[in-house]
Order: sequence, then C-alpha cells, then structure tokens
Amino acid sequence: MPGLSAYEKIAEPEEIRLLTRLGKRLAGRSFLHVNSTSEGGGVAEILHRLISLFRELGILARWEVLKGNPPFYDMTKRIHNALQGQGSEITPRMWEIHREVNDSNARQIPLEADLVFIHDPQPAALIHHRRDGLWVWRCHVDVSHPQPEAWRELAGHVGRYDAAIFSGAKFAQRLAVPQFVVPPSIDPLSEKNRDLGEQEVREILDGHGIGLDKPLLVQVSRFDRFKDPLGVIAAYRMVKKYHDCRLILAGGPASDDPEGEEILSRVREEARNDPDICVLLLPPFSDRTINALQRAATIVLQKSTREGFGLTVAEALWKSKPVIGGAVGGIPSQIHHGATGFLVHSVEGAAYRIRQLLHNPELGKRMGEMGREHVRRNFLITRQARDYLALWVALEHRGERVIQI
Amino acid sequence: MREEDRPAIQAFTFFECAGLLQPTGERARDLSKLLSLIRTVEPGVIYHHTHQYYLKAAVEAPEYPNDFAVWAAEYLEERALAEKLAGLDLYAYRDVEEVRRALIGIIEGYLRENPMPRPVRNGDEFFFNDAVSIVMEAGPRAENLPDFIEGLETVGASSLYFHFFEARLRLRRPADDFSVWLEQGLGRGDLARRIRGLDPYRYSLEGLRGEILSLLHGAV
Repeated sequence: MPGLSAYEKIAEPEEIRLLTRLGKRLAGRSFLHVNSTSEGGGVAEILHRLISLFRELGILARWEVLKGNPPFYDMTKRIHNALQGQGSEITPRMWEIHREVNDSNARQIPLEADLVFIHDPQPAALIHHRRDGLWVWRCHVDVSHPQPEAWRELAGHVGRYDAAIFSGAKFAQRLAVPQFVVPPSIDPLSEKNRDLGEQEVREILDGHGIGLDKPLLVQVSRFDRFKDPLGVIAAYRMVKKYHDCRLILAGGPASDDPEGEEILSRVREEARNDPDICVLLLPPFSDRTINALQRAATIVLQKSTREGFGLTVAEALWKSKPVIGGAVGGIPSQIHHGATGFLVHSVEGAAYRIRQLLHNPELGKRMGEMGREHVRRNFLITRQARDYLALWVALEHRGERVIQI
Repeated sequence: MREEDRPAIQAFTFFECAGLLQPTGERARDLSKLLSLIRTVEPGVIYHHTHQYYLKAAVEAPEYPNDFAVWAAEYLEERALAEKLAGLDLYAYRDVEEVRRALIGIIEGYLRENPMPRPVRNGDEFFFNDAVSIVMEAGPRAENLPDFIEGLETVGASSLYFHFFEARLRLRRPADDFSVWLEQGLGRGDLARRIRGLDPYRYSLEGLRGEILSLLHGAV
C-alpha cells in the first residue's frame, strides 16, 4: 500500500504538512474505527487506506467489523432506506434485534481507545458500551430528509456521542451534540483511480466488446431508479439523432434490491435493439474496469435524481472528464456548473449538455482539467485524513473556534 | 549591516490552518427566516459565511464573494439583493457584530422597497454553518526581512487567510499580523502602512501573496 510520500507528489504540499503535524501531535494515541463491512463499498475501501496512513503517522489506528445475522442486515437495510426518506417499515422487534446484535458485539470487540469512530447506523448502539475516550458517530448516508420515526430512534443513540459527522452540510440535523462536515474522498492511487495507459484501457474495453470508434457516454452506477438509467437512455436517444455516439451503462448487481432487478430488466429491454447501448453488469471488485471505462469516456454522466454524495463524479473528474450530473445530494459540491461540468434537472437538460460538449470538445477538455484540479484540492484521501485528525483536536478543545496547537 | 538584514526584536512565526465545517442545523427557506437567523446565530457563523469564499480551494471563484449574496442570486433569484450583499465592504469592519448589523441593514432596506421573495425549493435552503480552525506553525520563522519574504513565498495559502482574516476579525487583533510585525518587530512602519493600504478582500489569497511580495521585494 502506498505511503504518505506517494501522495506528496499529488496533493497540495500544505495539506501534507498539516496532516503530518497533526499526526505528530496525536502519535501514540489510539484511534478505533467500527463499521459493518470489511470489504466492498467506498467506505471500506477508503478506511483501509486511512488506517494505513494513520499508522504511518504513529497513531495506533485499529479497525473492527461488527458481525450481524440475516435479520440484522435486513433491518439495517431498512434503516438505511428510511434515513434516505424511502418507505420501509421498522418494527419495535427489529430495533430490539439491532440492539441485541450491538450488545453481543460489544462483548467481543475491545472498545477501548482514545478516539472511537462508529460508522453508520449498524453499530450505532455500541455507544451504550462506551468505557472511555471520545466517541464520534460518522454518518455516510444522506439523512437530509429521513423518515421521522427512524431518525428519532437512531437519534436516541446519536445523542449520546461526543459529536456526529456528516458528508455534507445539507445532511446535518438538529442535534444536541456538535456536528461536523467531512466530505468523502477518493484515493488517487487505488486500483479504481490510478493512472492506466492507453493500451491498457483499450484492452480492457476490448475485453467487453466496446469499440473506441465513437464518442463514449458513460454512467457508472447501481441499477437503481434514483440513478435514472432510463433517463440516461432517453437523453442518449435525443443526442443520437445528431451525433453518432455510444452509451455505456455499467453498474454492480442489485441482488439485494428487488426494485433494482426490475430496473435492470427495463434498462436491458430499452437497450435491446440498439447495438450502441452497452449494459455492463459488473461483479464486485471491478475497479480496474471502472477505471478504464471512466478513462475511455468522452463524457461521464451521473444523472441521479437522488444521491448520497455521488463519489463517481469525483472519480471521473480526477480522470479529467467533463461530468454531467443531476443537481442533487453531494453532486453540486463536485460539479461547479459550467466550470467542471454541468448540473442538470431533466432528461432534456442532460441531452442538451451532452450535445454541447460533443460539439465543443475543447470545452470538455477545459472542464476536465479544472475538474481534476478541483478534486486534487478538495476530494483526495489526504484531505479526509487531515479532517479526521483536525476533528480529534477540535473535540479536545471544545468550545474554541480558533485552536492553536 | 544592510537595513533589510537588521534582526527583528522578536521573530515572526508563520501559521497555517485547517478548517472544519460545523453545521448548526439551522436553515432558511425564505428571506424573512434568513434575516431572523442572521440576527441570532453565533458570530462565528456570520464570519464563516462572509469569509469562507477566500479560503475555499475553488478552481473557479463563485460570482459573489459571500454565501449570502450567492444564495440570494442563485436560489432566491433576487439579483439586486445579491449585488447589495456582495458589495459589503468587509475591510471597513473591525468586528463581526458590525458585519452582522450591516447584513441586517441591507436585507431590511431591500424588504422596505421590494415585496418578500418566494421561498426556495426543498434542498435549496440556506444552511447555516460555523467553522473551527486548527492553527499550526508552518515551519519557517523570520528573524529579518529576507527571512520573512522567503517564508511568505513558501507557506500555504491558509497562512495568509489566518494572518489577515482570522487575526483581524476572529482574534480581534488591531490589524493583520504581517503589518503589525513589520512595524513593531522590525521598525518598518513604511511597509506596514503600505500593506494596510491593501484591501485583502479584493484579492484571492494567491493574489494577496503576490501583492505583498512585490511590495516587499521592492523594499530590499
């Protein structure tokens, strides 16, 4: 795994200096993370790297994974949906299961640390087993419009923490504990984002039968209605009358989401008679393929109608691609409209902006370059590591607004 | 000894800072709520929304230099109000409470002459945030003017933000730290006066650095 020095060539020198200084101050202290999955998903992916960076700085960083059972995972999936405002019934018995699983894990996991980060709702009830140290609830979910009942239950746990972290200011809630915003980040050296040579990209696309003879429009997303893949196809069709191009819709399987299966079959049905639409169902750990698809793209789309943070936008911007995204969730913080891409609110808007960029490749190139710089300054893992350590210091100086260390 | 090599009474320490955003959980959907929250939020919140523009590592600066003006333009779609808010002369104020009063005056004045704008859509509210700064030594210490120039050339942009904006309005120092040191530590009142003659709000942090450096290079 690359060390901090590998990031010195990429990130702002100031950011590395601040991170190193914070690390020096906190060296020898213990930092525990608890979440519910050790692999798969952006949170686990970044956590692997963060733990390694913290250890290099001399911090005793540790990561524990909560172990659940099928009723627990079913219940936490419901919480996840409810926090994002979607209807999912959560019965009192389900909340009991949540508590029971947390209680039994608390007997297995050593929870002693100077700072404890509990990620997302699954392990949130571990707070009732706090022995010492500072405890922070780190929320990666969009909770801007949660179902009130689900939020009320969860807030009962969150209110016992020393602080809560959200990915964006819009996700914050009225809480009795201090709240902070730490946006997520990408790792520029990971398999999904590292540089790939043209030949390598070509080979990967060849392997999927995708030619590079036409401009490529690419959306990488789960097949879920909030990512609006059918809207993307509709926009592509509007563009296709004027520009010969190809559309790639690539995403992970939605096996745990019955609605996702239905969306995928509708997408396939829509794409059936058009050889220029390619629907790719990618297995887990397809990072290299995603990297190649984003690098091969002429334009990357993320036409979501509801979104958490939408880190695929930062991934594409990092590859110097202009991105057209829905103006929802965390996407507007990544796409500066007209500078690093375009924010759209409709299928027609997406089609209009695709045509504009296909007409004017220079504009796309400029936007891509700006986008990469925007990500370099704001959405790299070193910034997230710095934020976590700065937050640690802030919690030890509660009430102070300018903290000199 | 050349005048510029004369050692300072006390060395100057450059600081850099890491900012952390702290949402207050308060939001405004319309101008009336915005006004009432501007009246009551913590001073740090007013400071944050009028200053984060300068620290933010944006690749392209927003059209207006403070969050209130940006929101009035983009979401309320009240361009005239946005222009009035953008025209806030921050360098004229010595205290955040003065900035608060000026904002209230602009909005009240606008509402006397115009009907209340419609509320914004869900998700487009003005979200009130505060911010915490963690301030750390940047490394170089300046014993004389050439040291100071070298330090200023190498520190991060957040150092200028701290020594100019935070020092004056959050730490209530009488002026920016650079000019105070040049005057009191080095006896260079002439340079201090010229730096105080720069309105830092007219520049990006890099632009400000460039202006100060060219002024100091001219003095050695």
